[in-house]
Amino acid sequence: MNLRMKKSYSQEPGMSLIVKVITRLTVGLILLYGIYIVTHGHLSPGGGFAGGVIIALSFIHLMLAFGKEEALGRLSKRFVSLFEGLGGLLFLIVAILGYKAGYFFYDWFVSKGKLFSLFSAGTIPLSYLAIGLKVTFGLFAIFLALITIKLKAKK
Amino acid sequence: MSSYILCFVLFLVGIYGILRKRNLIKIIIGTVICEYAVNLFLIIFGYRQGGHAPIYSHGADISNMVDPLVQALVLTAIVIGLATTALVVAVAIRIYEKYGTFDITRIRKLKG
Repeated sequence: MNLRMKKSYSQEPGMSLIVKVITRLTVGLILLYGIYIVTHGHLSPGGGFAGGVIIALSFIHLMLAFGKEEALGRLSKRFVSLFEGLGGLLFLIVAILGYKAGYFFYDWFVSKGKLFSLFSAGTIPLSYLAIGLKVTFGLFAIFLALITIKLKAKK
Repeated sequence: MSSYILCFVLFLVGIYGILRKRNLIKIIIGTVICEYAVNLFLIIFGYRQGGHAPIYSHGADISNMVDPLVQALVLTAIVIGLATTALVVAVAIRIYEKYGTFDITRIRKLKG
């Protein structure tokens, strides 16, 4: 078992065993920290963009350590573009639902919640969630485009 | 005053990288350093002596806040800088695929 694992590690694409083990340990923490920043965007510094960048960096970390195929197996290109579109659409829907109360971007929540609690501030956390989705998958799509799209040189 | 001068020195480091280096990637890093020097200058410009972060939270003293306007401006500038950097890197990758080098003195042929 041990021998077989060693052999498979040396044949796998990506970086060395040390990098892979440390990545496996830290990627979850980086992802959770990004999600924390996105969900607490209305209470503390940070928000959709900063948290989205951190989540995208955790995906990029995974891809750098394990190679292109491994990361693309978990997150395919179609999945990435679907979620990027979903983020933009969610933001638009939150904005348009403001017409329920009269204005574009109007806060249509009846209960505003308590001040400084997690479920408060009306539509702002929803908007941050949408921006976080958009930034995460947009940045990851930029990275994928820079890595995977090969243009044939005319020589 | 000295912090403004240090910001200008950082900007000059970026200008040096743009004008003097021959590697395309180093030129891109020079532009990014210029951009960050300008962002730092704006953030320092909005600072007040002993000011707090402009965030309303539990028991925060809202009497002496720093200027939040430049911070919003710089946040937007960071996002746009990210997009332009990605664009420039994509162009650099295209140039590398076409000419096989990042050295700008060897990229002389303009024919398609």
